[in-house]
Amino acid sequence: MNHHHHFVPDFEADDDYVNANTNSSSSNLPRKPIIGEEEDGDLMELLWHNGQVVLQNQRPNTKKQPPSSSSSSAPPPPLDHNLFIQEDEMSSWLHYPLRDDDFCSDLFFPAAPSSERQASNQVTAARPPVPSTVRPPEPSSMRPPAPSSVKPPVRNFMNFSRLRGDFTGRGESGPSTVRESAKVNPSATPASSAARESDLGSRSAVDGGGAYTVGDNRKGKAVVTTEPARENQGTSSSVASKSEIETIVDERKRKEREAIDETECRNEEAKQGRGSSSTKRSRAAEVHNLSERKRRDRINERMKALQELIPRCNKSDKASMLDEAIEYMKSLQLQIQMMSMGCGMMPMMYTGMQQYMPHMAMGMGMEMGMNRPPPPPPPFMPFPNMLASQRPLPPQTRMGGYPPVQASDPSRVYGSNQQFDPNSSQAQFSAYMDPFQQFRSLHPSQPPQFQNQAASYPSSSRVSSSKESEDHGNQTTS
Amino acid sequence: MSSRRSRQASSSSRISDDQITDLISKLRQSIPEIRQNRRSSTVSASKVLQETCNYIRNLHKEADDLSDRLSQLLETIDPNSPQAAIIRSLINE
Repeated sequence: MNHHHHFVPDFEADDDYVNANTNSSSSNLPRKPIIGEEEDGDLMELLWHNGQVVLQNQRPNTKKQPPSSSSSSAPPPPLDHNLFIQEDEMSSWLHYPLRDDDFCSDLFFPAAPSSERQASNQVTAARPPVPSTVRPPEPSSMRPPAPSSVKPPVRNFMNFSRLRGDFTGRGESGPSTVRESAKVNPSATPASSAARESDLGSRSAVDGGGAYTVGDNRKGKAVVTTEPARENQGTSSSVASKSEIETIVDERKRKEREAIDETECRNEEAKQGRGSSSTKRSRAAEVHNLSERKRRDRINERMKALQELIPRCNKSDKASMLDEAIEYMKSLQLQIQMMSMGCGMMPMMYTGMQQYMPHMAMGMGMEMGMNRPPPPPPPFMPFPNMLASQRPLPPQTRMGGYPPVQASDPSRVYGSNQQFDPNSSQAQFSAYMDPFQQFRSLHPSQPPQFQNQAASYPSSSRVSSSKESEDHGNQTTS
Repeated sequence: MSSRRSRQASSSSRISDDQITDLISKLRQSIPEIRQNRRSSTVSASKVLQETCNYIRNLHKEADDLSDRLSQLLETIDPNSPQAAIIRSLINE
């Protein structure tokens, strides 16, 4: 950031330099600055100005448009540079105006020329036809609204419009920004900045790529309505644009910091006195917003991924989806336990398993009952006896000591409302195989009593340990 | 953050807090590694969600492996036996 500091003192002088440069170089992007340190300073400044100066000496163009008459007169800089810079600069742009009202006013509303200059800045970066169409409404929109809150959003829109024109060939975030800017343009008319940003946010959410760009809008401190927009976008767009967002956000963060530094310098210059405190505050707020948004995006992405994993999950509500995820996970665990037990039982099926199972069931059942006296209605264990039809096992499989235990357990644990039919254990065993499915279609009155039996089937150690630890987990966490 | 923003967020955050609570309690119950390693409330929702996804994928894979094993076992026994029926039901799930 040294160059920033370099730049600060040179700010005043830079204007002259810039003027000269502007007049001389119309819009050669990669023009090397005469002054070595100016390069960095200009570069940073470019980032900050977001675009007109794509890279290096665009700032002159942006700063001194009024003197150079119409902005459209300045030929657009090479698109490639613009493209690459614009994205970064966009973020810096967005932050820049949003952060400091005074500065914005300086830039935009000292008079019409400033707004024109702003628009012209965009024009230089974008193709003339595109910005020219956009410019007229934008400057007008920018002028009337006195409150600073309006300025930033409109400015952002200008950026988007500009980007749209430029990003035809852009790859990564281009399409998303292009989409967004396309959507933004129609609404660029200055009705209400807040509403606009909300719309933008929702639209961006639809695009999927809007999270990144909308977030920038949202950063405007003066705009509070963007918050819901962000939420909308977060939920719907996080997955699709996650990779984009990650890379883009990281890069943007860096650029934003740089832009923030530059802006801070400028603000101090321009405002003389208000600068550091407000910029620091705003910068901290923006950084916080950015990190918060990143976090939210990440969480939403994971939520979507989780939803993908859960079969037949038609819940749009996060909480219910999470509940289903929990149940599904438990049912999966039980199913796997059953299957592994079945694998272990297979060789023993013909031997003594029939006696073994009842004992296991008994032990497990009692354990279950003891561990979970207040039975959480084990929704994933709805084993209705209706599957009694599948009862291949002969009555010998009836667990001798089991029924009595079952009778007591269910009554104690579940309030027992079901006759326990050992012969249907087989059916229940089979039914158990799809506990989650059963859960879904389960009649609420179905007693989960089978849970004891079914749960007891899996290896006792596993069940007990899992249940006990579950209890521990519940107790400790609650 | 403006008060307005917090007010707006409060209505949604109430739901979000409950969701996060569900999330964390669920993982605490079900995922051994989180339960053992980080029993504190500092576990982030993002990490919890990620662990859940990974865990469910693992469960899926394990279930598939067991299904394969059971199907293999099924071939070794009398298809008409009740055990075969059990195995089939296991696999079908």
